[in-house]
Amino acid sequence: MTVLSFALAYIGFSTLCVAMERHHGEVFGTRRIPPRRQITLRVAGWLLLAASFPVVITQWGWSFGPVAWCGMLTLAALPIVLLLPWRPRLVLWLAPAACMLGILAAWG
Amino acid sequence: MKNGFRQSMAWLHTWSGLVVGWVLFAVFLTGSVSYFRPEISLWMRPELHDAAAGTRAAEMIIAGMQRRAPDAPSWIILMPSARNPVADVFWREEGPNASRRGFQQVQLDPRTGEGLAARATAGGDFFYAFHFQLFGLPIPLARWIVSVCAMFMLVAIVSGIVTHRRIFADFFTFRPRKGQRSWLDGHAALATLALPYHLMITYTGLITLIALTMPWPILTNFQGDRTAYIAAVFGINERAPRSGRTAPLTPVGPLVAEATARWGGGTIGRILVTNPGDAAATITFQQQDGDRLSVSRRTITFNGVTGAVIATREPEGPADATRGVMYGLHVGRFGGGVMRALFFVSALMGSAMVATGAILWAVKRRQKAGGGAGARLVEILNVGTIAGLPAAMAVYLLANRLLPPGMAGRAAWEVYCFFIAWLLMLLHPLLRSHRRAWQEQLWAGALLLLAVPVVNALTTHSHLGMTLPAGRWDIAGVDLACLGFAVLLGCSAWMVRHPATATPRRRTAQAVAAE
Amino acid sequence: MALTWNPLEARRIGGIVSRSMAAIFGGYAVAALASIALARLGGRVEGALAGMMAGYAIHTAAVIWVFAVRTALRAWIGLAAAAGSFAAMFFLLGHAA
Repeated sequence: MTVLSFALAYIGFSTLCVAMERHHGEVFGTRRIPPRRQITLRVAGWLLLAASFPVVITQWGWSFGPVAWCGMLTLAALPIVLLLPWRPRLVLWLAPAACMLGILAAWG
Repeated sequence: MKNGFRQSMAWLHTWSGLVVGWVLFAVFLTGSVSYFRPEISLWMRPELHDAAAGTRAAEMIIAGMQRRAPDAPSWIILMPSARNPVADVFWREEGPNASRRGFQQVQLDPRTGEGLAARATAGGDFFYAFHFQLFGLPIPLARWIVSVCAMFMLVAIVSGIVTHRRIFADFFTFRPRKGQRSWLDGHAALATLALPYHLMITYTGLITLIALTMPWPILTNFQGDRTAYIAAVFGINERAPRSGRTAPLTPVGPLVAEATARWGGGTIGRILVTNPGDAAATITFQQQDGDRLSVSRRTITFNGVTGAVIATREPEGPADATRGVMYGLHVGRFGGGVMRALFFVSALMGSAMVATGAILWAVKRRQKAGGGAGARLVEILNVGTIAGLPAAMAVYLLANRLLPPGMAGRAAWEVYCFFIAWLLMLLHPLLRSHRRAWQEQLWAGALLLLAVPVVNALTTHSHLGMTLPAGRWDIAGVDLACLGFAVLLGCSAWMVRHPATATPRRRTAQAVAAE
Repeated sequence: MALTWNPLEARRIGGIVSRSMAAIFGGYAVAALASIALARLGGRVEGALAGMMAGYAIHTAAVIWVFAVRTALRAWIGLAAAAGSFAAMFFLLGHAA
């Protein structure tokens, strides 16, 4: 469950990340983002981040859960910050990997 | 005064962070490793690596104390737990043979109630105590100093948030190999990514010391009666005087069962026995930290002779619950291994945040003004603390393995080795150029940390070759962490060797500095 | 490096020193007064704990405020006003209890 929550947070953060012009340029090579795509990315990103919260709560409860969620968000954002300067494309490829991990964790 | 609110906040941020930065780094780093205080203590007592708490720990320990100190006014027993297989017992000794502060301490094996046969060491408690009361100073003074530094930290965090204009836009921004810009990016990223943690840990840290630093409501609400305050908040009632009539202490087993039942399965963290062997004896149980988020004391007090329940204390109103939660959040004993790992990562990021801030200031100052006594002092303190402290911590662990187990005063000497190493690290940059000092200290730190698991293997049977196959992650973790940090320091040393690409003007300044 | 007494520089440094004193000591005084005033609000234990915990939040806010206002003098005046208010609150609540 924690893995699923982490996956959701990671995908959410990377989505929000590429919605920003500078990072879109780093990952995709062009800073121009069609406005509709930018809105879609932003909404999707926030929704995914928000979705990671109830997953954490179901596993940890309301007492430990919010604390665990904050720590987990930190951990999810960290790889993105570290990968962007060196391997920006990897940020993108890790998203489906996280997706699969999350699905496996949830059903396993 | 300053043009603009943001500029004032930027000024405030720089100075509130810098003035106490090195103390803060030391507090943050020793605090980070304190999340693993029981594991470090266990690692430093290899003789105990096969010990395990039995099911009748309370009875065995009390029986042991009845043999050891039957006439003591009270015993304070810190019960063993899954992470810590020994019981710590404190009692006050009275009479002509009493030690300096009157307190005696012993570690007991919970299976037998007898003393441990393990080498004398402060263990992880040294880092934990250093973290909030330093070492070698009168305790109230040291705690005040740490509180003041924490207050500076809180101001630095708040002013930093205000100053960081593009906190959302720059959330993922990190541009390495660009000199000063990279240090700023790194500092901001470390701060922003774990911002809730940093705010929480600093504020709750201050709260843990408020009885010392903000005691005024105790004066007004309790007329300065600290004992009454402690009784109300912690459930520890003042000890009644001995009646003089001897009476055997009631068997503890049934009391444990009663307490556990009342708490819905909670475990006992602490036992306080007053007037053992006397008719006025009492036994108080406190619930284990880590069962719940809040550390607000849940206690049950029994009559020590009859076993009847005299008093209970449940967490009271919202302020009491809040205090308990704040304290619980700070010590972070709840939630198990995953939670602890999350806290540890955030804490390390906090330490790195303080470090990068100090380094950023030195880099900026050197580029702008090219030097000066102030910049030089900051640079020396930076190297000696940021690279020197991890090296000194490795020396502490190495001393534990290398000093003879039977040596007199070895616990104190382990600590002295730590400080001697740190002092050497602080003096070394005086003799070397700045870049060389960083390189040499980072490499030294990496080698010392690497040496820990090696020396462990050479001197004990609790090395990675044994602990990993046996699944003893609590012991192996220390060795693995040393290896991991050795790699980290080694990579840092390597990166110092290869400076970032810089403009010709900057390179000249750096070249001058690097000599 | 010759030490010339530049009056503008002196005023700036004087302002910083004044604000730092105000922030550290004045802010603490305000926090202490606030803590005992707030301690009167709840019960004996609850009030004490609430007051103590609020103390540091108030001190931090005071420090930020002291460095945000236009002049050091305003900072001192503001702190004095806050201190006076909390002191008044303390005495008024004391008489009411």
